[in-house]
Amino acid sequence: MRRARPLLGAAAEPSTARIVSWPLAAVADTGLTLGLVTTACGLAGLGDDNADAAVIVGAGLACAAAAFVARRRVAPPPLPGAGRVFAGIGMLWTALVLFGAALYAGSGTLTQIDDALVESAAGFTTTSLTLLDAAETSRSVLLFRSASSWVGGLTAVMIAVVTLPTVLRSTSLIGYRTQRRGFDLVPNPRVGTRRVLLIYCGFTALCWAAYLLTGLGFVDALVLASGTVSTGGFTGRADSLAGFGFGAQLVAFFGMLLAGAGVFVIWWMARGRLRPLWRSGELRAFLVLLALATPAMALHSGVGWGEAAFMAVSAMSTTGFAVSDWTVWGTAATVVLLAGAGIGSMMGSPGGGLKVMRAQLLMGAAGGELRRQLDPRAVVLVRRDDETLTQRTLDRLGGHQIAYVTLVGAGAMLLGVAGGTLVGSVWGSVSAVSTFGPAMGEIGAFGQLSGVDRLERLALAPVMMAGRMPVPSVLAGIGLLLSLCKAALWRGRYWRSGAVARLRGEPASPQAAEQQRSDAEQLAEDGSAGARFEGRSG
Amino acid sequence: MASDPGRILAGQKWCRTSVSGEPPRLDRFRNRRRFQSSTLNVTGISLTAVSAGLLACTLLEALSSDRDTAALFAATLLVGATGALLWCFTEPGTLRMRQIFATVGWTWMLTTLLGAAPYVLAGTFAVSGAGFVEQVVNSVFESASGFSCTGATVMTDFDNAGSGLMMYRQLTQWYGGMGVVVLAVAVLPFLGVGGLELISAEAPGTSSDRLTPRVSETARRLWVVYAGFTVLSAAALFAADGFASLYDAVAHALTAASTGGFSPHPDSIGHYDSAVVETVVIVLMILGGTSFSLHWRALATRGLPYWRNSEFRSYLFVLGVFSLGVVALLWLDDGMAFVSALRAGFFNVVSLGTSTGFGNAAGSATAGDYVTWVAGAQLLLLFLMVVGGCSGSTAGGIKVMRMRVLGLLMVRSVRKTQTPHLVMPVRLGRDVIAESVVARVAGFFLLHFLMMIAGLLTVTALGGELEASLGAVVSALGNMGPALGEAGPTASYAEAFSLPARLVLALLMIVGRLEILPILLAFVPHVYRAQALRRVIRR
Repeated sequence: MRRARPLLGAAAEPSTARIVSWPLAAVADTGLTLGLVTTACGLAGLGDDNADAAVIVGAGLACAAAAFVARRRVAPPPLPGAGRVFAGIGMLWTALVLFGAALYAGSGTLTQIDDALVESAAGFTTTSLTLLDAAETSRSVLLFRSASSWVGGLTAVMIAVVTLPTVLRSTSLIGYRTQRRGFDLVPNPRVGTRRVLLIYCGFTALCWAAYLLTGLGFVDALVLASGTVSTGGFTGRADSLAGFGFGAQLVAFFGMLLAGAGVFVIWWMARGRLRPLWRSGELRAFLVLLALATPAMALHSGVGWGEAAFMAVSAMSTTGFAVSDWTVWGTAATVVLLAGAGIGSMMGSPGGGLKVMRAQLLMGAAGGELRRQLDPRAVVLVRRDDETLTQRTLDRLGGHQIAYVTLVGAGAMLLGVAGGTLVGSVWGSVSAVSTFGPAMGEIGAFGQLSGVDRLERLALAPVMMAGRMPVPSVLAGIGLLLSLCKAALWRGRYWRSGAVARLRGEPASPQAAEQQRSDAEQLAEDGSAGARFEGRSG
Repeated sequence: MASDPGRILAGQKWCRTSVSGEPPRLDRFRNRRRFQSSTLNVTGISLTAVSAGLLACTLLEALSSDRDTAALFAATLLVGATGALLWCFTEPGTLRMRQIFATVGWTWMLTTLLGAAPYVLAGTFAVSGAGFVEQVVNSVFESASGFSCTGATVMTDFDNAGSGLMMYRQLTQWYGGMGVVVLAVAVLPFLGVGGLELISAEAPGTSSDRLTPRVSETARRLWVVYAGFTVLSAAALFAADGFASLYDAVAHALTAASTGGFSPHPDSIGHYDSAVVETVVIVLMILGGTSFSLHWRALATRGLPYWRNSEFRSYLFVLGVFSLGVVALLWLDDGMAFVSALRAGFFNVVSLGTSTGFGNAAGSATAGDYVTWVAGAQLLLLFLMVVGGCSGSTAGGIKVMRMRVLGLLMVRSVRKTQTPHLVMPVRLGRDVIAESVVARVAGFFLLHFLMMIAGLLTVTALGGELEASLGAVVSALGNMGPALGEAGPTASYAEAFSLPARLVLALLMIVGRLEILPILLAFVPHVYRAQALRRVIRR
């Protein structure tokens, strides 16, 4: 029987590994990718600002080396528990953001640590918010900012398409599977990882080439390609895409459309499989929503259909590109934009939001509830394409919706207490949770955070991260924080609470360890007695 | 058989109820041919009850200002005659689930429309060149706000209405508080078969408690508790105000017991500028937002069963925590004096947390005018507008019990993701909530959320500003009254929203009061009939 591989990359051989931990293995895998990409960014920036480039190359090499060593010493368990995986995902995103923040602060690009933290969180969570000004930023830092979005997008897709379906052993609400050979993107984790990586890199290269063809320079094209493919929306300019030509905007439009449609759609298109494309209810819903949002926005904003369509795609893919200041549009147009960003992209996309499929299924569930009210004995089935959803899946769907609304509410509360206006807080929260970025109020259409109050800026960081992570990871993180606070308040030493030990799978206290040991001895005695008995009878 | 006059003609709506061959002359009226319709029958009873209140208001008007007496008398005749006709010439049919929802939904819509007649006839909204259509729309809005216990108003000139008409306005909220359908069930024993379902369809909350074996007796007891509570409220307010105005005390008692929030004064409770009155109103609002079944049990057992009820404990906890949060924000962030922050914060939290909607702002930009508060405090109030009071009370919103179930459902969903085979029933206190109820609560939250999004899109498309529209939609669905921004506690909806937007908000108020389903499902039988018609045409 083949040993299961880690889901975010290759693993060390079990014989050389000393620590078995899924979270550490995931962090090491992602760290290696990040280290290599960061080094490349630093090298590409040589000749512009060598000091920054040296810091970035150094950090990249250190990250890659540490990750490489960790890979040799850490192995994932063959069957990781879902709880451990969700905790690991939370740890992974936190590690990424901390690395980015250290790099911004270390290079002197952002002198305040809270600013560095916000910029890093915006980058890795693919939220189109920034404090950087391209005119005053070195090329290597600019490229690293784009790379952070790119790595963040890749990590989000890997988690959604490969990790979670494997760990949860269910593709409902997460991915697509078809029985026919060749249709399935993720037949197993190893192949799935390779295919997703190939699609993501290939799509990036295609976008880069297309931007180059429109006459953009090497760096601009790369930054835009990263921002498009990852739905990060970073352009390095204060006016987003408004200053770019029509060609670049056209490439961005189709790039966002594909990025918002997700890797499944790109996979089917690349394989020339039109049938799954036609049969995908989610794709139809995505296109219908875009088709409805475009005239609605054009009607209430007074702009042309092209601009309205661009913003509709930007919102629904949660990219955050803008070609004009849409905050001056009519209220109804901005509400449609907000609704689009709230619904978000398709499954398998690096974009955020509730996701089109979930919104579609929630509508189905609402219809089912009405039907059940009319006839309480009716057996109401909710379907997704050809699949009938189980009650467990519907429960998860309902739980996710409640959690999403709770997150938005908590985010708005946090921003409001931090000093935001009412509309700005609600907008900012929806936008940050769905990883869109721009918002009404001080943030504005181009996602510039320099005019936003410092405390409010800092409040955005946890909101963005909570929107990027799966809900169980967020709750695990909150639970851990509460445990630590409780321990700090009541006991003075956090490690006594057992929260850290529980996360590592160790006994929470010496008494628990003693109990565990005596249970194990008892079990061993029982087992040997049983074996003796069987041997005697045999 | 064909000559038997008592036979109910299958497939026909018209029927004879007499079983005798030739009824005597006196029985002829009783045994006349009646149209079989539960909707019209229950609407008739509701309108008759409303006309009784209107008659009392007409007398009050005649004895006091005598300004709108003729209009009120005409409205009494119109509403009373319509109600009596509908009651006398219709009879309730078999109540299936679909018809129950249709009955409740249509009864509320028709009562709201006819309940607007006094405003139209008195010309209450004929101010500053308003056309007839605008007057009608404003009247319907005011009527919907009254019957749904919302408390939002389009009135800008409170001096343009006599005291009788203003009392009618208060009375609409009192009728709507316990529900006109509950009233119909109380007076109609033959509705007892589907009565509990009717009450469930109208009453706020997840289910209706059967206080007695007979449903009509249950409905009657609920109304008795409600009326008693109103009388006590009036007495308390009268005493708190230094026995100054019985009219004001009764008027505010009617809307405090029903958690409606209308006031005959433009500055609501702020008119008194009295901490004692505000304290009494706070207690009344909290009691109004508590389940009336609990009040009945307290009366029946002569004890205090409140603290044993987990929903009530959560309700008080929510109000307490939010009060502390708002007061802290006002004091520390907004720079308000501590006593002012305490008074304004606590009053407004209870007012919006119980979905009453009274204000204690003596004017715009004063301490109680919460639209001038910091965003954090306003967001806390917005969240309270969504939560609402206890189930089985007169309060609106999603209800505390549902919010608890939703929170537990979310935790369970997350834990089941981590441990797929986990068996974790949803518990409230010591009670395990049935899975069907949990599913219904999740479905209700989903529908509420969808209605909110749809309402926001529609109202903003009709010209509303984002802040005011968001507040108004949440407020209308939760039956609060005052909203945010331009539709705050010291403002009128007439200044913030266009005519079509006001109509949409009026509909949302009824939808929120009946908790969405009856209004949505009210149209379902007609859809089925349309399908049947289509089949006939196709043949």
